[in-house]
Amino acid sequence: MGAKAENAVRPPSLAPSSSFPFPALRTLKLKTKQQELLIRVSALALIYVLAFAVRLFSVLRYESMIHEFDPYFNYRTTLFLTKNGFYEFWNWFDAESWYPLGRIIGGTLFPGLMVTAALIYRALRFLTFAVHIREVCVLTAPFFASNTTLVAYFFGKEIWDAGAGLAAAALIAICPGYISRSVAGSYDNEGVAIFALLLTFYFFVKAVNTGSLAWGLASAFGYFYMVSAWGGYVFIINLVPLYVLVLLITGRYSMRLYVAYNCMYILGMLLAMQIRFVGFQHVQSGEHMAAMGVFFLMQVFYFVDWVKYTLNDPKLFHSFLRITLTCSISVGALALGVGTATGYISPWTGRFYSLLDPTYAKDHIPIIASVSEHQPTAWSSFMFDFHILLFLFPAGLYFCFKRMSDATIFIVMYGLTSMYFAGVMVRLILVATPAVCLISAVAVSATIKNLTTLIRTKSKALQTVSSKGTSSLKASAKASLDQALPFQRNAALALLAGAFYLLSRYAIHCTWVTSEAYSSPSIVLAARGAHGGRVIFDDYREAYFWLRQNTPPDAKVMSWWDYGYQITAMGNRTVIVDNNTWNNTHIATVGRAMSSYEDEAYEIMQSLDVDYVLVVFGGVTGYSSDDINKFLWMVRIGGGVFPVIKEPDYLVNGEYRVDKGAAPKMLNCLMYKLCYYRFGELTTEYGKPTGYDRARGVEIGNKDVKLEYLEEAFTTSNWIVRIYKVKPPKNRW
Amino acid sequence: MRAKSDHASGGSAAAASAASPPSEFDSIDPILQLLRFLPYGFLRPPRLRLKLPSSLALPSPMTVFCLVLLTYFAVVSGLVYDVIVEPPGIGSTQDRSTGAVRPVVFLPGRVNGQYIIEGLSSGFMFVLGGVGLILMDLALDRNRARSVRISFASFGISAIVIAYAMSMLFIRIKIPGYLW
Repeated sequence: MGAKAENAVRPPSLAPSSSFPFPALRTLKLKTKQQELLIRVSALALIYVLAFAVRLFSVLRYESMIHEFDPYFNYRTTLFLTKNGFYEFWNWFDAESWYPLGRIIGGTLFPGLMVTAALIYRALRFLTFAVHIREVCVLTAPFFASNTTLVAYFFGKEIWDAGAGLAAAALIAICPGYISRSVAGSYDNEGVAIFALLLTFYFFVKAVNTGSLAWGLASAFGYFYMVSAWGGYVFIINLVPLYVLVLLITGRYSMRLYVAYNCMYILGMLLAMQIRFVGFQHVQSGEHMAAMGVFFLMQVFYFVDWVKYTLNDPKLFHSFLRITLTCSISVGALALGVGTATGYISPWTGRFYSLLDPTYAKDHIPIIASVSEHQPTAWSSFMFDFHILLFLFPAGLYFCFKRMSDATIFIVMYGLTSMYFAGVMVRLILVATPAVCLISAVAVSATIKNLTTLIRTKSKALQTVSSKGTSSLKASAKASLDQALPFQRNAALALLAGAFYLLSRYAIHCTWVTSEAYSSPSIVLAARGAHGGRVIFDDYREAYFWLRQNTPPDAKVMSWWDYGYQITAMGNRTVIVDNNTWNNTHIATVGRAMSSYEDEAYEIMQSLDVDYVLVVFGGVTGYSSDDINKFLWMVRIGGGVFPVIKEPDYLVNGEYRVDKGAAPKMLNCLMYKLCYYRFGELTTEYGKPTGYDRARGVEIGNKDVKLEYLEEAFTTSNWIVRIYKVKPPKNRW
Repeated sequence: MRAKSDHASGGSAAAASAASPPSEFDSIDPILQLLRFLPYGFLRPPRLRLKLPSSLALPSPMTVFCLVLLTYFAVVSGLVYDVIVEPPGIGSTQDRSTGAVRPVVFLPGRVNGQYIIEGLSSGFMFVLGGVGLILMDLALDRNRARSVRISFASFGISAIVIAYAMSMLFIRIKIPGYLW
């Protein structure tokens, strides 16, 4: 800020107007303030376009399609919403998944993403752009990522200054931690939710800084948007009360905090209850009780403060304080105790409890522990997703601690809590990314400002000395020169070049990571062929399209829950279990069927009315995320509910094998038979025996697989997806 | 209650009473009249010790910052991963030809996996880089002695250079195809 003010008041005689290159354009010469505005706006515009463009790798390489698993469910619901309108969507009961239970979709999803995409679609259609809803869905996440950079700019301006805002926008535009979940085609809740998260935090910090009811109202609506978009809103409703508590403890409270928090909490809570999936959790669930506790604490705190101000009598006030404290603490403890004991206030759910106690999921909830995104984070994941931001983060924290204000306290708390959660679960690196980018931007801005000040002060001192030339000024200039470090200007220039180098390496790293690691659609696999050319495996879509064309419309498909959403969205058939994983017993039934012998499995399949079974097999291509590698999770989840399935039956000396030395139960279970049917006749690699499994790197144990109750219906061209038809029971005994 | 808080004006009468000499209950604010006698009329204030001990002051910002830096080091070296997955401190592999057991420092094959020692050393590098930047900022403080400032600056710059170089080296060893 100081440097910019200097610029503005520099006398015009020092401005090099004579050296202006094009004298004819002198009339267009802008004042410094306008120049600065132009630079800022053009930088922001470029950052906006960059954030959108860097996420388009997979659209350019493959085609505009939806990636992964969860986005297919979101796409299907958005399609339903645009075809049938909002009321049908809100009251939708879906009989095509979780057969025979069905799923109340209207009451068990977060509608924010679908409604947003549908609104964008309607707006574009209104402007007579004839787009397909799929294109809108694919490009929603990059569009909102660009909007997030704008919010990051304003947020950075709030906590530090405009330079930090620009740095924050630039860093968050390409940060791989955010790109991983918001690439084009990743049509998932987080793409919209991070925008809503940052917006809510920005509005709240603005409300605390200004004490205005309007900003408080804006933060309540930002919170409503976040609640409608993602289950991670629990982070907001716990971080904001914690922040309020810290401000109260450090004595930084005033009427502004009172207005901001009350407005946001009450209105936000009422708005959040409009989402059916959330319901009354804000008054009933243990995870939301912290906010309520802080709300009541705040009322008591401000009441006592006001009484102290009006009473003006310390002794009377002291006794009043004692009475109030006793009453409020006892009433609060009583209410909490009665609520928890009667079960009205439900305890913390497993998903969020495992964040506080990371060992909980491993021992108690295998479904949560099995998801690869829920594993704790190793250092290389941090490095991969953040690069030099990991160096800038502690430096930024130092600068925030040096110049403390309400806004910097907030960003420090956000950064620390989100980094802890990011350490517990890889997926939550996404939530930490905005905080890390903002704090790093503070470090970048402060360091570069220091360096440029070093470069400018010496030249300014020289200029004043040369223009004035009086002895007193010379003495003071010399004194200031003496205090400076040796070779200050050169060192500062070199360091500035070094900072530029580091930031450019960051940009190169981010682009490489996005291109190599985060732009794969997962539904289309790519590999390098023998001669270096690229080979594309489109087996998944081939199988789903076969299902759509060649099976009766009311056929029921049994597969592991990973593929459920894709089968319903693309294959348009009813599935038994899907990615929602809301019913553990149902999934355990499927797991039991997959791990039993064929006759036991046939009974289970008859009871579920299964017509087709779908398995994913990577032995021919070397694809390692197939069902044989996931098989132990089927055994664990099935065994968790049906004790007849015991994990040691499938292991040999604690080792999981599929070759000749494998356990006999493993060699004859349904999953093994379905994956390796007719595989024993196939030569997969030159120089290896037939039946060589390229994903496990061994020759399989049971090459002669015979199926009694199922028959093969379809195998894709690279043997990745295999579909079997369940035979009806025999007519004669 | 510290002086930083600005008080709410309870009512216009309260403001009027503030102008007159204090400890006079001559306001027309009904709540104030109630407060004079209501709780104490029939309740006896419980005997509580309300003063916090004077030694329990808020820690200085820089103390908190040091604790924060330690926590950051723990989290970023993958401490939670170490506690849950319990990997060995350092891995080992058997040399195929000679049969000797060689140590392996970096867990190969996955991005999200580590041994304990590799996590701690990488975390140390990150914190070193951060501390380097902090030292560079401290070197610009004009109130310190010149020699101290020069040493801060040189330590800071070398810390950043070393930390960046080592981190790049580590990630190249860990992920063989990095930046190809």
